[in-house]
Amino acid sequence: MIPELTYLLIGFSLLLAVVSLILALRNRAAGRWTLVGTGLLLTMLLIQTVVSVLMWGQSPSTDGILFFGYLLTALMLVPLAGAWAYAELTRWGPAVLAAAGATVAVMIERMNQIWM
Amino acid sequence: MAHETPRSAREARAAARSERSAARAARSPYSAIHTGPGRFLTAVYGMLAFAAVGRVTYQLLLKFSEAPFAYTLSALSAVVYILATVCLVIGSRASHHIAVAACIFEGVGVLVVGTLSFTHPEYFAHDSVWSAFGLGYGFVPLVLPFIGLWWLRRVQRGVEARRGVETRHG
Repeated sequence: MIPELTYLLIGFSLLLAVVSLILALRNRAAGRWTLVGTGLLLTMLLIQTVVSVLMWGQSPSTDGILFFGYLLTALMLVPLAGAWAYAELTRWGPAVLAAAGATVAVMIERMNQIWM
Repeated sequence: MAHETPRSAREARAAARSERSAARAARSPYSAIHTGPGRFLTAVYGMLAFAAVGRVTYQLLLKFSEAPFAYTLSALSAVVYILATVCLVIGSRASHHIAVAACIFEGVGVLVVGTLSFTHPEYFAHDSVWSAFGLGYGFVPLVLPFIGLWWLRRVQRGVEARRGVETRHG
């Protein structure tokens, strides 16, 4: 884990969650920008995956199954939530995205704790 | 309103979906569970079920001997979360009743285990989903079953209201 990338990931997924929550509260459906945001989050997660694999040798005591379990779950969750939100034309689409964004932020923090 | 010219493929797909769900509603009034907040609830249940299953698979396969009681509990809760998710997706009369039972079980489970984890911490040296009222999952396990019961109750009332109207007119 690179600290800067970790902060960026947590910050961006929280931002996505907050923006989606505001959209849901204002009774708006998910649109192009939330889709772009979800894509960006997925891209960052992919970069995190590459970084984790490359830096794997520097963390001999990390529980690999746990760490990559979290990472793979986040990698599946983000596109699924994005597709779900985009398919839904009501406020409950961004609501799903808000829940997923908050979940991913927590998962990244857990990965940060596991990495040693 | 459903017959306006669709502006985009996305709206066309959404219109097709709403027509399908109207057809389902004609067959089973319980499919009202799929509308609006019901879909959000299903998504969050799905996430929680996924998280619980992922965690418990890891615990059972690699750490079971460390805390058999807590991990058996985790497995049980994971199974009930899957059951509730599947029932919310199906949305028939039978699945509605099973979902109510699952939500009650989850609600009781999180309250009992949450309390026990403070009064008898020796059983809960290792976390289960329900320890400390679901603190490890942002208290989602504490809140979700009650939101679920509220939503299921609302759908049930809708079904009963509809049935009442049909009886009066029939």
